[in-house]
Amino acid sequence: MSPFGVAIAIWGLVTGVAMVNAGLSIPIALLITFTVFAGSAQLAVLPLLITSAPLPIVWVTALLVNLRFVIFAAAARKAFVMLPWQQRMLAGYLNGDLGFALFSRRFADDTVHGTPEQWGYFYGGAVVNWVAWMASSVVGILIGASAPDAWGLNQAAYFALLAVLIPMVHRIPVAAGVLVTAVIAVATVGFPMRLGLLLAVLAGVAVAVGVETLRPQGQPHGVVAVASDIADEGEVA
Amino acid sequence: MGSLAYLIAATVGLTVVTVATRSSFFMLPARVELPERIERGLRYAPACALTAIIAQSVFARQGEAYVSVHNNQIWALLAAALVFAKTRNMIAMMVVGMAVFTALRLWA
Repeated sequence: MSPFGVAIAIWGLVTGVAMVNAGLSIPIALLITFTVFAGSAQLAVLPLLITSAPLPIVWVTALLVNLRFVIFAAAARKAFVMLPWQQRMLAGYLNGDLGFALFSRRFADDTVHGTPEQWGYFYGGAVVNWVAWMASSVVGILIGASAPDAWGLNQAAYFALLAVLIPMVHRIPVAAGVLVTAVIAVATVGFPMRLGLLLAVLAGVAVAVGVETLRPQGQPHGVVAVASDIADEGEVA
Repeated sequence: MGSLAYLIAATVGLTVVTVATRSSFFMLPARVELPERIERGLRYAPACALTAIIAQSVFARQGEAYVSVHNNQIWALLAAALVFAKTRNMIAMMVVGMAVFTALRLWA
């Protein structure tokens, strides 16, 4: 299997193990795997699902984690805008972290968009990604179901989320935002309906944007630059 | 743990979130662009959201903050973060993180 497939498979395995080890039943874990198809969002909402957090909080948390895909879509759209809407929706659904990083790196200098070579590369990568992800997730779900809770395998979920987070934190504004978010999140753990979560994110984003405004030098601008800035080192996401 | 209906409703909404975010700008007319002010907020939201969920899971126990040297999860998370920041190797991070957690659970 390609390095790409291996990275995806590790992620799928961890996500599958973590979902079942945290307490989801096998059928529900399989349902989430085959529909939601977004590892970081699945892992992020896991602690919310097992404590029956209000649904709007679950959905908004996934939305916040997934907002990076909006930037990826804005950056990659030129290769897809001419397709019928069903194909654009499918291509979007398949446009995850690693696929986007490889696709945008490979065709960054192309002046013609939407060539058969680009589509072939995109869908080829998407198929490898889908198969590696689904197979490893199912294996993870079956392993997770047989491991004792005391081993704490659901910990692996937080380590996996770190692997998405750490490459993003490489400039001062985002580091400041993350620090403020962490402190407020811990201080507001007991807030009703997990509202502390949203409060912490809002404060963190405000601080990051504020710091960026104070020292704008060296900040990438435009969707393509920003997307590659986020996706650049996210090799295993 | 929520009821079956709760979990299914959650899953339907989560699937909508995946499709809506991933295909967002693929579906919009080419003349619609991302305003710079919104783009600035969007780029920081995922990092902050991941931080908030990790912090509220690892630094808490049964709905209360648990910031203590006896919280094994904190040490495991720090070890994992250091390994990943240094090596960018996910397997090494998992092995070290789980080893620290297990060692503390058994012997600390």
